[in-house]
Amino acid sequence: MDLSPLWTSLKVVSVATALSGATGIGVAYLLALCRFPGRSLLQAFTALPLTLPPTVLGYYLLVALGRGSALGQWVEATFKTPLVFTWQGAAVAAAVPSLPLVVAAARAAFEEVDVQLLEAAQMDGAGTWQQFLWVLLPLAHRGILAGVTLGFARALGDFGTTLMVAGNIPGKTQTLPIALYDAVQAGRWDLATGLALALTGVAVVVLLAVGRLGTRLV
Amino acid sequence: MVRALGVLLALGAVLSGPASSGPVGQGLLVAAAADLRYAFEEMGDAFRRVAGVPVTFSFGSSGQLAFQVEHGAPFDLLFSANEAFVKRLAERGLVLPDSVQLYAVGRIVLWVRRQSVLPVEQGLRLLPDSRVRYVALANPEHAPYGEAARQALVRSGIYDQVRGKLVYGENVSSALQLVQSGNADVGVVALSLALAPPVSSAGRHWLVPDRLHDPIRQAAGVVARSAGQAEARRFLRFVNGPEGRPIMRRYGFVLPGEGPTP
Repeated sequence: MDLSPLWTSLKVVSVATALSGATGIGVAYLLALCRFPGRSLLQAFTALPLTLPPTVLGYYLLVALGRGSALGQWVEATFKTPLVFTWQGAAVAAAVPSLPLVVAAARAAFEEVDVQLLEAAQMDGAGTWQQFLWVLLPLAHRGILAGVTLGFARALGDFGTTLMVAGNIPGKTQTLPIALYDAVQAGRWDLATGLALALTGVAVVVLLAVGRLGTRLV
Repeated sequence: MVRALGVLLALGAVLSGPASSGPVGQGLLVAAAADLRYAFEEMGDAFRRVAGVPVTFSFGSSGQLAFQVEHGAPFDLLFSANEAFVKRLAERGLVLPDSVQLYAVGRIVLWVRRQSVLPVEQGLRLLPDSRVRYVALANPEHAPYGEAARQALVRSGIYDQVRGKLVYGENVSSALQLVQSGNADVGVVALSLALAPPVSSAGRHWLVPDRLHDPIRQAAGVVARSAGQAEARRFLRFVNGPEGRPIMRRYGFVLPGEGPTP
């Protein structure tokens, strides 16, 4: 059995999780602890991928990152390759629907942290960044990990958005879910079964691993 | 938390190693219309034996693949199921104009499963029959085989009778899959798929007369962005040459410069 969809999936999902994790934690911090104009807009915007069909997300990403867009042209000029139909594009595609899961969980975790602890840290001379890093993150880490884990699982399972943005290119953008779809189209049910099991296996292993990582980080 | 993210990032960095330096890196990446799936798997193996270059295929509808080429997908070659998509890309400089060539003319068939009671040899007039609940074809919007199927239904005068029975696969092999899985009763699909061993043993087919649709003139071209243009041209010559032609003929394609197969 060709293992390339497994490697492609792991690569794409790792980067997607890093993207949605970093962005999601930042957004969650803003939503939980800051008051600024446009806050509810930001909240709605980051929750949007949860309610939009994956094809709509895929379409928007194609328009936003495609070769016709300013962003797409910048990427192509800078990196000598377009973002769409590459594994990096697939990572962006998978990160978008996983973002709301990270934001929701991390935001709830931040909001549960006692504000007095932050104020105490502030009185001891801790700046915003120090409060975030040494008070907020450690206290909220369980919720954040849960969100990132969910985000990882969502990115791993992404099909529609990835297919639209990155296509079905074996060895480059063909992730496990897309390889499974391709196997079914080819009538190769044995391969489809193998891929479904591989996908399930990766999901279980990852969830177990991140779960263990979580308890060890306490 | 920060450590967890670090671990994930490191994992990503490690994993990007083996995958990006995989066999695809040195080989050819070919976008191929879905009707070529079985023929080209054989073609790829034959080419690798002769040229020592592995070929990886991305199968889809010609319209989708052309769209992907237009948007910079990293393909070396495009084998479309119609001429128009390739010519249009060549006019815009996305496919090398001097590489564009016809490689096959396709045919369509009615296809039913082996265990189906439907008399497929009755041809298109079978389709209005009440025992036929669903007829699968490729989406005519972007799949040339779907367009040919639609033309055949229109020109044989049964389109209005069967219109409510039509279900669309996104390409011709997913249309076949709708029938193979028992979800549609009859498919209008590519002869090249019906003749492939795993499919021919699973069903029966009836050749649709080619006067009922425009010729499915399939053209190919080398993608201008390809870093492996020399190898890509070599594969194109292989398909259209003495090694590739017998394979194409075996899958029911009519070849450029040759009459229809008996």
